[in-house]
Amino acid sequence: MKFIKRKNKDFEGEGLILFREVSDAMKAERVLKKAGYRVQLVAPPPELRKGCDLAVAVKLVEKLGIERTLQRNTTGFVEMVPLNFDSPEILNIVKVTDFGEWVMVKAANMKLTFEKRSGIIVNVSGGGCPDIPYMHASMIDKKLQEAPHPDDLGYTLCALMLERAMEEGLALYEKGGAAC
Amino acid sequence: MLIICGTIPLEDMPLTFGRVRADGDSFIVGDRQVPCTQGTGAMIRAALSAADYLKTDPPHALLAGDIGLGTGSREIYEYLIQNIAGIRPDVLALHYWLPDMPLTRRLCAAVDGCAERPVMIADAASMYSAKAAGLATAFDVFTPDASELAFLADPAATHPAYIKKHLFNIEGNRTPELIRAAYQNGSAAKLLLVKGAVDYVVKDGNILETVAEPDVPAMEAIGGTGDTISGLIAAFVDAGIDPAPSAMLAARANRAAGQRARATPATKISRIIEFFPDVFKENLCQWTGVCVVEGENDD
Repeated sequence: MKFIKRKNKDFEGEGLILFREVSDAMKAERVLKKAGYRVQLVAPPPELRKGCDLAVAVKLVEKLGIERTLQRNTTGFVEMVPLNFDSPEILNIVKVTDFGEWVMVKAANMKLTFEKRSGIIVNVSGGGCPDIPYMHASMIDKKLQEAPHPDDLGYTLCALMLERAMEEGLALYEKGGAAC
Repeated sequence: MLIICGTIPLEDMPLTFGRVRADGDSFIVGDRQVPCTQGTGAMIRAALSAADYLKTDPPHALLAGDIGLGTGSREIYEYLIQNIAGIRPDVLALHYWLPDMPLTRRLCAAVDGCAERPVMIADAASMYSAKAAGLATAFDVFTPDASELAFLADPAATHPAYIKKHLFNIEGNRTPELIRAAYQNGSAAKLLLVKGAVDYVVKDGNILETVAEPDVPAMEAIGGTGDTISGLIAAFVDAGIDPAPSAMLAARANRAAGQRARATPATKISRIIEFFPDVFKENLCQWTGVCVVEGENDD
């Protein structure tokens, strides 16, 4: 087994964007990163959590531009507030297991397995939220480069973890199965 | 009566409750055919296979279509909250749904109001919400894998995506340590079946048994192998076997089916389930003394 450890980005967001839906937070992170902001998905304050919630930590100094970017991209959010609690980070470690003809990439509770030679996704396992069986059915037997992405199809933190596994799988495959 | 509750990745499937019957490698609930794919479909198909062999009543299923938005999940929660006392199941097995802590609290309160408390089994996100709501000890069985055990061991985590890095990034076997932490936190059910290269059957914090053979490493990659274990436990408990031996049996049977299927990481879960009848026939009597005589109880 080979471990891939990602270094934490040196990021201290002192503001927090709150959302009603996990999918909105995931979209906001993507939109803001694309626009050049340094942001980070984090857990919202306990009193606002429902279970699978996400918030986006940002630099408060960039509040105006971030809000404009989100509004231009019709990314719904509740409000941006100062971050004054000890917010845990989303787990950002990926583990890779070599099965010979296949590679399994694991991010938190999600695992994606593809064939080294073809890049075809042969299995998705783990997780527990309702978008995972849907993604399993949508992704299996498709090539990594052609399969739908969990962050497009999914809504939950399980989907977010599967997206990370898929990104790592794509990177490995494009390197010619580096860890393989 | 065993009720298995969970979401199905069919957008148009309404809330459906009824007895399950097999239909090839799929199953039928109400008038809906449901595919045996990763998730609650695999759990139900495995439970059905065990019930068929043991000649017990087939499970009931409470299902709703949900692809992640949570609508079907909330329908399942609400149906259970309103009806569980009247249905009076012996075993209530909760599986895939969008975790919702307030609804989980209401559900547990409704179960407390039952004349006879069902055996409560949780896997997948129903286990996440039970732990995050602080209600793990109200459950009889959890079936976490390694990352989910780390989630149970982390008192602050509300989802496995938020577990502390030192709990996830473990090299070597720290499973017993994480088991202790989960029980100390009050984040474990009375019985845990920890699924992994070695399966651990744990009761009230004490490791009763480990299952390591046959070793089929590819099973970890196959979507649904954890679901089938949960389905088997639920069916065995419904047949009157205590949760601990049910967990041991489920772990052994799942591995044996994987071995017989010559599982690779590309094997589909329906292929594993195909082999359960043969595995039961060859091993259950020897493993447990639960022996089914051919032709007996066949109506």
